[in-house]
Amino acid sequence: MLNLYKAKKGRGLCVVSVPDIDLLQNLGLREGTNISVKNRYALGGPVLLRVEKSFSVAIGKDIATQISVKETNK
Amino acid sequence: MRRRILLMGNPNVGKSIFFTELTGIHAMSANYTGTTVSFMEGKITVGGEEYTLIDVPGTYSMTPTSEAEAVAEKFMQEGAAAVICVLDASNLERNLKLAMEMMQYNIPMVFTLNMMDVAERHGVLIDVKLLEEQLNAPVIKSVAVKGKGLEELITRLEILLKNKTGCGRTCEGCPWAAAKEICTQVRTVKPQNPGFLDKLGDAMLNPFPGLPIAVFVLALLVGVVVFGGRGLRMPLIMLTDGLVVPFFRQVIMGVFSFFTDVENMGGFTNILLEILIGEYGIFVISFQWIIALILPYVFAFYVGITFLEDSGYLPRLSVLFDNIMRKLGVQGGSLIHVFLALGCAVPAILGSRTATTKKERIMIVTIVCFAIPCISQVGALIALLSAFSWWMTPAMVLFAMFMFTTVAFIANKVIKGKVDPLILEIPNLLLPNPKTYFRKLAIRMKHFVKDAEFPMLIAVFIAAILAGTGIITIIAQNAVVQNIVSGWLGMPQEAVVALILGIVRREMSVAPLIALDLTYLQVFVAGVVSLLYLPCLSVFGVVAKEFKTRVAVIIFLGTIFTAIFVGGVVNQIARLFM
Repeated sequence: MLNLYKAKKGRGLCVVSVPDIDLLQNLGLREGTNISVKNRYALGGPVLLRVEKSFSVAIGKDIATQISVKETNK
Repeated sequence: MRRRILLMGNPNVGKSIFFTELTGIHAMSANYTGTTVSFMEGKITVGGEEYTLIDVPGTYSMTPTSEAEAVAEKFMQEGAAAVICVLDASNLERNLKLAMEMMQYNIPMVFTLNMMDVAERHGVLIDVKLLEEQLNAPVIKSVAVKGKGLEELITRLEILLKNKTGCGRTCEGCPWAAAKEICTQVRTVKPQNPGFLDKLGDAMLNPFPGLPIAVFVLALLVGVVVFGGRGLRMPLIMLTDGLVVPFFRQVIMGVFSFFTDVENMGGFTNILLEILIGEYGIFVISFQWIIALILPYVFAFYVGITFLEDSGYLPRLSVLFDNIMRKLGVQGGSLIHVFLALGCAVPAILGSRTATTKKERIMIVTIVCFAIPCISQVGALIALLSAFSWWMTPAMVLFAMFMFTTVAFIANKVIKGKVDPLILEIPNLLLPNPKTYFRKLAIRMKHFVKDAEFPMLIAVFIAAILAGTGIITIIAQNAVVQNIVSGWLGMPQEAVVALILGIVRREMSVAPLIALDLTYLQVFVAGVVSLLYLPCLSVFGVVAKEFKTRVAVIIFLGTIFTAIFVGGVVNQIARLFM
């Protein structure tokens, strides 16, 4: 298990836990969601995720560090 | 409520396009979330009966997370004859989850799988028949921007309203589980190689080459405004100065000479003549300022910004610059509002309803009111500055960015509360649909003329009367005014007209200066004062309505003070070196 902000770019990831933020849940970032990190931005910028290979979401650093993920083989 | 039909769905799925196509009333749309923050309504006829169609702001769920989303929940609570639920075909699962939640309200629903073209390009295939069975409600395919699927939607809606059934299936368990289950059944995805737009969209998001692309796009936008505006101005100046103004002068002089002896007329008729056709006469400046000065720049700006909006580029800028914006106390998503404010502050202040915290919203409004000029004013400023030297405009842009940073920095310290980290969905990069693009451009120009014309005419009228009657000289010679205008700001006496008219509309704080004989320093100081001077009366109206009158008054006094203070500081410092 590792925190999303530190996850490697391009690897298949599976969400283990997310903070209790409605908007995250509503966007479909929940336990078990498959994601991958597309970009990470310097100077405390956000991470850009591809969710379920269907859409992209940018998540601010403060939230990304609270999301834990694990690597999948996909 | 029984005569209402609601258009609902996730943000940025195309609800406003449906609304425009179905009612003929134009609802603003763009390729990013949160374009509709308030609802719009219009009439549609289904099966010979008239209904009110309501374009409801997009929402991700029935438990709202912002002011704009709360509107959606309220409409479902109040009930309706039917709901048209617009689904983004390429994001089915998340869209169905909202659908599941909406079905709990027991209102007949018809579903439309919109943006089918984008979904198909990405290799997404959906079994519509099976989806209808699963949802127990009619489902159609559509591409709203191209007008595809609209007739079928109306037909299915008619059947739905006649039978008053089909409130969908009742959702068991968690809406996500149900959405996922349906999704796996009806959808097959064949991964496709990304097309050019997908690759470009991704490249724009990568810090490299995304940042160089951002610099290029912004420079291009400035170029379109500066050179496009100037290009359009030239023929318009020729038209107004060569034809329109002399025509009115001739006509008015003709009418006057019919009644009096123009050569030896008395004081009153002279004043009247000045007001109508003198240097600041109504028939002179209303053409010279409104048509030949402001309109070309406004048009050029909307040509550029409308393209950016509909392409989905602005959210990409928000992501790239989120880190810098955060240091200034707002999140990257607010950059979209700042861009809107460059057009006009009013829609930007309304649009800031999508902000997730109170502080975020107040920060946006403060930045917009104190540091972001509107395009009419920018146009007038460019005309003033570029007549002097090519470097004046870039220098003013740098100064504006400096002020933007300073205002945000101070506001961040003063305003209490917290700002949520960015959570922003990035839409697919699209080539704007020509029909939607030109319709939007036309509607924006129409709105500009409609909303701006009256206040501008009032300003012109005040200018004409102040100048024609000589009241302006009396005000300008007042000791206090003289100290501020001539002493502190180092401007000529006549500049007081600009300060008075600037209260009515922003570009009027610049327009009167163009004809004056100013030095480099005076032009720059005038630019600084105008940049920071108070936003127009419409902005106070909207601020007072969205917040409290007190906030509007604070902004009114605050902007006058900062404009004169900073302008004077620039003047005094520059004088030390001259």
